Amino acid sequence: MQAAAKAIAEARPRVVAALAARLRDLDLAEDAFAEACAAALIAWPQQAPRDPAAWLWRASLRRGIDAKRRAAVRERAVHDAPAPPPTPEEVLMADQPIPDERLRLIFVCCHPAIGADARAALTLKVVCGLSTERLARAFLVAEPAMLQRITRAKRKIAAAGVPFEVPGPAAWPERLEAVLATLEIAYAQAYEDAALAGETAGFAAEVLRLSGLLAELVPDDPEVLGLAALVRFTEARRPARLDDAGAMVPPEAQDVRLWRRDLIAEGAALMARAADLGRSGPRQILAAIHGAHLSRMETRATPWADIAALYDVLLTVRPTPVTRVNRAVALGEAFGGEAGLAALAEIDPERLEAWLPWHAARAGLFAKAGDSLRAREALKAALALKPAPAERLFLERRLRALG
Amino acid sequence: MQYMLLIYEPESAYEGEAGQGLLQEIVARHYALAEELRQKGQFKDGSGLQETATATTVATTGGAQTVHDGPFAETREHLGGYYLIDVPDLDAALAIARRVPVADGGKVEVRPLVTY
Repeated sequence: MQAAAKAIAEARPRVVAALAARLRDLDLAEDAFAEACAAALIAWPQQAPRDPAAWLWRASLRRGIDAKRRAAVRERAVHDAPAPPPTPEEVLMADQPIPDERLRLIFVCCHPAIGADARAALTLKVVCGLSTERLARAFLVAEPAMLQRITRAKRKIAAAGVPFEVPGPAAWPERLEAVLATLEIAYAQAYEDAALAGETAGFAAEVLRLSGLLAELVPDDPEVLGLAALVRFTEARRPARLDDAGAMVPPEAQDVRLWRRDLIAEGAALMARAADLGRSGPRQILAAIHGAHLSRMETRATPWADIAALYDVLLTVRPTPVTRVNRAVALGEAFGGEAGLAALAEIDPERLEAWLPWHAARAGLFAKAGDSLRAREALKAALALKPAPAERLFLERRLRALG
Repeated sequence: MQYMLLIYEPESAYEGEAGQGLLQEIVARHYALAEELRQKGQFKDGSGLQETATATTVATTGGAQTVHDGPFAETREHLGGYYLIDVPDLDAALAIARRVPVADGGKVEVRPLVTY
């Protein structure tokens, strides 16, 4: 049963996107996929399909087309008329390889006509299949509010006639920025889960693929290349992010022999191309920061002063609390705990109390400055936020080390 | 799909001598846009509205109706005109909405019509 659930999760983005493009209806696509999944859980234990994605595509397309035809018949007010048999084109279509419509679906979900706060949630729900509950937790809103946000966005797409198309060149800059921001938020969700044990399992790979595809389609936008590089640099470290006990390992303590050289090379090539285009941006700066962490492979020491300087640059284009906290950590590593704490003191803590990295950063900087009492308090505050097991083990270990 | 483009503008923009000059310029651009849409078969209807001082509102509350002077809402921007267009999708409607001439501070709301 677990294997079936995994196969379904992996097939989902491709199949739902293809369904949405074919049926021109997000709800119908999701419903048809859900019905096909229910059928799969009954059929697969008897006979496992050779290609689960193709099985789901055929089953859900048939259901989606049937539902659409039934709706059309209802609309014409013809009662008890049997649904016409599928046309030869429809039969042939189900046997074709699943068309890759994921990018098209992402552009639909990221349309500027949808409220900015709803775009990322909608994309993660529809493309990656994240549950409303998980999204509510990620975006710090109540579950009914999240459900309403997604329902309203879907209704708007259907009612206002948002086209299922990749936009033309004139609309690119505006539409692309929305897509990049959405992929970034999606990736942040996957990155947060070091063990990939939660519901985001598999979607780091999805964002890796999508960011690469976007870089292929838009090879002359440096931020598109920057995001693709960023995702590659951070995913390159994934095999080293957990130790044998399952605890999280921070970048500067990771075993560099476990880092994926293939992804690092890909990311470096993307960064070189972005640099040639001569237009900087936040994703390129973030990629440079993660690239600096990776340089420890050759230099044996993390270049914290360089990283702090890159955060200074990032702060000018993205002055968010996240940037400020990360900058404080880098300053602390480069110039001592006091320097880091001074940078931290400039941040308004009001909205950061529920954010684990805030407490973890404070703990690290207090410990570095020799204030183990406050370091312990900060670690306890972090643990009170019920982190994932890998993070919890890491924080507990630090707490024990403080005595 | 049919969309209504509702044009909201601050009426003060067209006051005074300078305002009258601006009005003439904007009206001329409306004629040009409407003509272009007509030739493409995208124009269903459209018109400017007289100023809100000419508005009368019929309000229904608890079964009783009252008639009163003025528009129903007191806002800075007022509904000053509309286009009714027929285009394939929202992107096409938004492309036209961007080209609707307005005074500074003007807004064009794009609303799909209900299909019965």
